Amino acid sequence: MTTAVLPLAEVPRAVPLGRLLGAEVHWVLRRPRTLVMLGVFALVPVLISIGVAVADGEGGPGLIGAVAGNGLMLPVVAITVSLALLLPLAVAMAAADALAGEAAHGTLRGLLLAPVGRLRLVGMKAFGVLVVAILAVLALAVVGVLAGLMVVGLAEGQLVTLSGTAVGLWEALGRVALVVAWTVGQLAAVGAVALAVSAHTEHPLVVLASVLGGLIVFGVLSAIPALDWLQPYLLTTGWTAGADVLRDPMPLDGLAESTLRALCYLTVGAGLTVYRMLRRVA
Amino acid sequence: MPSVDAAPAPAGAAPVGAIAARAIGLRKEFGRTVAVDGIDLEVPAGAVLGMLGPNGSGKTTLIRMLLGLTRPTAGSAELLGQPVAEGADRALPHVGALVEGPGFHPFMSGRENLRRVATMEPLLTRREIPSAVDVALKRVGLTDAADRRYRGYSLGMKQRLGLAAVLLLPRRLVVLDEPTNGLDPAGTRDVRRIIAELHAAGTTVIVSSHLLAEVEATCTHVAVLQAGSLVAAGELRTLLAAGTAGLVIATPDVDLALRTLREAGATAYRAERTSSEEQAVVVGDDGPPAPELIALLVREGVAVHEARRSRTNLEELFARLTEEPS
Repeated sequence: MTTAVLPLAEVPRAVPLGRLLGAEVHWVLRRPRTLVMLGVFALVPVLISIGVAVADGEGGPGLIGAVAGNGLMLPVVAITVSLALLLPLAVAMAAADALAGEAAHGTLRGLLLAPVGRLRLVGMKAFGVLVVAILAVLALAVVGVLAGLMVVGLAEGQLVTLSGTAVGLWEALGRVALVVAWTVGQLAAVGAVALAVSAHTEHPLVVLASVLGGLIVFGVLSAIPALDWLQPYLLTTGWTAGADVLRDPMPLDGLAESTLRALCYLTVGAGLTVYRMLRRVA
Repeated sequence: MPSVDAAPAPAGAAPVGAIAARAIGLRKEFGRTVAVDGIDLEVPAGAVLGMLGPNGSGKTTLIRMLLGLTRPTAGSAELLGQPVAEGADRALPHVGALVEGPGFHPFMSGRENLRRVATMEPLLTRREIPSAVDVALKRVGLTDAADRRYRGYSLGMKQRLGLAAVLLLPRRLVVLDEPTNGLDPAGTRDVRRIIAELHAAGTTVIVSSHLLAEVEATCTHVAVLQAGSLVAAGELRTLLAAGTAGLVIATPDVDLALRTLREAGATAYRAERTSSEEQAVVVGDDGPPAPELIALLVREGVAVHEARRSRTNLEELFARLTEEPS
């Protein structure tokens, strides 16, 4: 038996991280469904603004009613409404395609054989999901601001808060930016958990079903009074905190607490994803 | 250990005696099923190894373990001298593989898919990617269909695109799992040509196939699997020669020849009529050496028209190896 080995003349350098991330974003945005989804998110504030305009300033109850004649509320309301279901669904879809979808198409094998290192693969995929989350929230926010200014109109160029006070245009935009960042944080948590599921299956539907099912189960659990003690552990508990930016003075504890909770979910999800992907057979 | 002898090294190849891929006691169990049962195999650099075996004999599992896609239950594998368990990422950039069918995204064109694959290749710089993609598409004859969506590709075109991904850059080792699946005869010829080109460039090729003629036409080495075990491995020539029944002697004087040979202590019998109308006897290789036997026959007055080693073809060898209990 011969023992000679092939000398590997050059130990190949890994593909630069920037090139991987760029390729991933290109791939995500090349997918027709991503673009359709972003279009839908752009439509949400438009629909709300039309609804409010048609209702003719009557201003019904609830958050949506508060938009009437108060355009800068629209982006925040659109984001808060979408966070209940639409945004998590979009993130789950991206996460489902990221690993389970690649496995289903047989392309995950190619990535592992290239080789894209397994840790770098997780980083690249997480980045792609995060980009989808950011773009979705930005679509809601940007179109929300525009539709708010153009269709709904402003009360004396200001945002009238839920507390009844008024804040200026720039401060209002700052508050919109804050809610965007907070929402992306919550979605990152959803995305991390969805990616962990995605790492464990080759059926993208399983990922969607898990996230949807999880949201419903969380909703049911939080509606049972005997399970009050569970509330602090449920990601969805803090999801009403987004509307806090519409109050004056702005209460920050709800935003901070839900962000911490999201960090915990993010850590667990990322850990499970990495653990699985280091061992995954493709 | 059924070790494969070193192949004649093609020009520009790795040092003689180098091993491109090695399996050391590789074993894989799925639950109670033993898919691969302790296989030792060496693939010398520069060889074209045909991996043969009936469906479910463990070919794909063995290939997947060699590439680090599946963890062996026991044993280990080496790729280009690197242990797969720890160092696969060092060897894999030099390895091109088409395993279990081509995998691409249906919503992108062939060219876009290939460009994405090329982006992930550590040995290709960003600037080299467009030309590497064009060249690979041309080599597999997909240039005309390159900008159509993968969704609309025929099975053969998908397989060709899979081959193109393997050919994006010069490789040290190419692994092709059933590369002719879904290909028409022209496609099969193209695969044969590509394997020949790779071989000429000094690339080691491992190709699994159930098409025996394919393997016989393109391979220098063969490994035959049966129920998860390696039943034969070695140079194609050697294996075929070892499978000979002995000497075939064409003669019109069959009866005299048979009597003479049997008296000389050789096993001899009447050859079955083949397409050639000539009568012949077959002599086993357990008696006196061939030159003596021929001289004897001539002395006894038998008209010897032709004497040759009977050659088995791969099909007979394969049938013998995989049908008899080994």
